[in-house]
Amino acid sequence: MNDKNTWEFGTRQVVYGAIGAALYGVFSWATNIFPLPAAGNVTFRPAVAVLIFFGVAYGPWVGLLAGFIGNTLGDALSGWGFYWNWSLGNGLMGMLPGLAMAAIIDFKARSDIFKGVTWGTIGIAVGILFASLTEMFVGGIDLNTALLGYFVPAFLGNFVVTVILLPVLMIAFAAVASRRGR
Amino acid sequence: MLVTWKYRPRNTIVQRMDPRTRLIFMVCIIFALTIPEIWDYRIILPLFLISLTLYLLARIEWKDVRRVWLYISILVFFIVGLNGLLSGRGGPSSVTNIPSPVLFEVPIKIPYTEIGWDVPITVSKTWFALNQMTRMLCMAILAIPIPYTMDPNIYGTAFKRMGASDNVSFTMDLAFRFLPTFARDFSITLDAQRARGYEIDKLRGGLFARIRRLAPLIIPVVMQSTVTGEEVIDAMDLRAFGTAPRTWLKDLKYAPRDYVLLGLGVLIFIACCVLKWVFGIGGYFVPEFFTKFLVG
Repeated sequence: MNDKNTWEFGTRQVVYGAIGAALYGVFSWATNIFPLPAAGNVTFRPAVAVLIFFGVAYGPWVGLLAGFIGNTLGDALSGWGFYWNWSLGNGLMGMLPGLAMAAIIDFKARSDIFKGVTWGTIGIAVGILFASLTEMFVGGIDLNTALLGYFVPAFLGNFVVTVILLPVLMIAFAAVASRRGR
Repeated sequence: MLVTWKYRPRNTIVQRMDPRTRLIFMVCIIFALTIPEIWDYRIILPLFLISLTLYLLARIEWKDVRRVWLYISILVFFIVGLNGLLSGRGGPSSVTNIPSPVLFEVPIKIPYTEIGWDVPITVSKTWFALNQMTRMLCMAILAIPIPYTMDPNIYGTAFKRMGASDNVSFTMDLAFRFLPTFARDFSITLDAQRARGYEIDKLRGGLFARIRRLAPLIIPVVMQSTVTGEEVIDAMDLRAFGTAPRTWLKDLKYAPRDYVLLGLGVLIFIACCVLKWVFGIGGYFVPEFFTKFLVG
């Protein structure tokens, strides 16, 4: 279905990293107007499922670039400026599911979908935790606010979106890839 | 729906600057405040004034940034400020450790229970909240003008000239080029689904049902983009992408003003580190005049 060399960084990764970033940017921008009941700048983002999908389908570099650049684009389009820690957190959120790429053979198989969702959840947890904890230094919030005000609502929102939309994306991708033959 | 960059050419000194200079200067200020953990108003205030000057020099119209400022104000004053005022946490431990006169107490109670406690608002916490808000604004107002004043076409070149690899810079450049295309695809998909009776404005059902019903909007755009990707990969491979270093259409050159701002940024960063780690200046303290002002 695709090249299974996890850490390869060639033309395919450059192109899909850019496509993932642009899609994540557009979808994030479209939903940046829906804030989560959280302490800070945390919004409801169905686009996270797209980011996780790009990580799972094309590997960690694509996930990292799509998350980092995509979040930067989404924030820039919304006029919010640049928050390096949230962009890096989003990069991690896309990168970690990419580690599952080599283990996923059939995108419509239940076990492979489960792997994708599991690694996606790990990615969300690590990425959002990184962004929330670094906000203590950048935004000057305390640990309680970082965990309860930022991490928990953002994690739950992203987790729900991923559990629902990632399997749909993976199944649709399996159909497209089989038609395309690569 | 149309994605438009907030960027507009303006004949300002900020826009005439090299984009690398502005990005590096912003990083210098953020690092200067966060790495040596500066909490001294005598350092924060001048840095804030420098940031504010750069923001004003960008001459962004108020109507463009009104919503952003509303959002930033809520974040800074009501969330960060209130958090600092009530808890005194998020900064150095000395905020709550040093003895400080109590101004008043705020009773906080868990709704529908008798459990509650009185949170003392001290002079130290109040000063900390003010410091905290200024510190955060200092970093935010350097970032806010970027989307409004930096040409999206030069981000890729800027990152390449800052030392990023061809692959990373090209990803950045391609992402900016793809963005309007995918936004148009999304708009077409939305219209097509609406023509089939899909009502985006009336998504009924619980949270799960609502999210699932977003699939008809997201899936077609994502799948079409994966097909487009293969075509772009073929085109790039035919042009031997990745076999040798690339050349870039736009070139960037530092002007004397760029060297001045770059020097200032690096100087600020080094000065903050030296002041804090060598001379012990830059830590948190409550100035005498503030205590006198509040408690007489």
